[in-house]
Amino acid sequence: MKRDIQIQAYEKRAIVKRAFIDSIPVLMGYSTMGFVAGVLLAAKGNLILAPLWAFLTSTLWVTGTMSIAGVPEIARHASFCAFALMTLMVNFRYAFYGFSMLSRWKKVPLLKKAYLVLMLTDENYALEYACRLQDPQKNLYYCTVLSMLNHSYWIVGLTIGAVVVAVLGHVVDPDSIRKYTNGMEFSMAALFIVILTDQIRQFLERRK
Amino acid sequence: MEREILYMLGIVSVGFAVNYSLRALPFILFSGKDRELPPWIERFGKIVSPVIIAALIVYSYSGLEWYTLWPYLAGVLTIGLQVWKRNALVSIVAGTALYMLLLANCGCASTPDGLQFDAQHPAVSVSQSGVRFCDRPVRPEEVPDILEDYDIPKTRTIHIALDPNLKDLTQARTLMGYLGRAGYSRPVLVTQRHGESFATGKKPPKASAPKAKSTPKKQVIRYKKSNEQ
Repeated sequence: MKRDIQIQAYEKRAIVKRAFIDSIPVLMGYSTMGFVAGVLLAAKGNLILAPLWAFLTSTLWVTGTMSIAGVPEIARHASFCAFALMTLMVNFRYAFYGFSMLSRWKKVPLLKKAYLVLMLTDENYALEYACRLQDPQKNLYYCTVLSMLNHSYWIVGLTIGAVVVAVLGHVVDPDSIRKYTNGMEFSMAALFIVILTDQIRQFLERRK
Repeated sequence: MEREILYMLGIVSVGFAVNYSLRALPFILFSGKDRELPPWIERFGKIVSPVIIAALIVYSYSGLEWYTLWPYLAGVLTIGLQVWKRNALVSIVAGTALYMLLLANCGCASTPDGLQFDAQHPAVSVSQSGVRFCDRPVRPEEVPDILEDYDIPKTRTIHIALDPNLKDLTQARTLMGYLGRAGYSRPVLVTQRHGESFATGKKPPKASAPKAKSTPKKQVIRYKKSNEQ
């Protein structure tokens, strides 16, 4: 708490504004991707309580990859062990994001750090890494606000997606929803293709 | 109900534990130490991560209709858009939309929602390349489960089309064995005549249908798939 007091109120407002503007692309991405993931979870997951699933996974996992790639596994009730192994493989890249934040977050109090670690997602990390605020307190404030904004977009998108399908399922025939979502599982392959394309591009750009 | 809730809590906590430990790994490894990141970790990360993602692409394709052209077309569109526009959302949505469209409109050989079959249009076929269900390659042991998905009664005659060029009947026998053990009491092998094709799924060929005097139209029942796999 002491740290926050050191930043002036008007500076805080400026940082929040900056964070919000920076987060607009993520808002577009997370809310729609989250919506797709929520629809997928509810339509293909073969679940009761799909909205609760959506809320819990979006709040605690904060990973688009597993929210989409994990749906077939959840649908066929994969074992915990198999699911853990799959998560480990799919999200292995997250293990490398923290390294570049080590020195920056060295003096951050534990609870706040715990939350920042949770929010080391692809997009959030990219924005935090690019943040140019030199002052450690301002930088930390920016990262926290940005994380909370992006987290909320993801939770809202995913939950709404699942709720829409769950409500529709009572209004129209669930089979017809399945008919219109047939092929949606390609989004998982597409997500991986996009990640790999970006990784290859980064690799090529670095060699230049 | 309780089991479902327990399963949900289990999966959510497992996913959280793995995700969070991955993200926290650098902070745990280097807590309290004031040293630079060893260069080998950086190099390792740069190599391992793309390799894993590439493997995941192959894995996710195995869940799609990979034996058709459609996922590859959609994949090419996704790559092209990502290289050109650099917008992950646009690439993913466009690729998925193309795949869904192709799947819905181009009569892919996927398992249809409604299944219609009789002696002239068998759903199951055996040829040199293996067992097929509605032109989709399947393992013989899967066939009873697929039939069950469509709520096909055990007493119904299951016609299995045999490729006339097929010399080795082991696979057909294995398939019959699996069907028998699953309780389908009337599997029947029928041979395909040359130059005539069996219908696959939704659209039976009209040319061959009138010849079938022995099978009255009434017997053709539409079976609806009971649950998505």
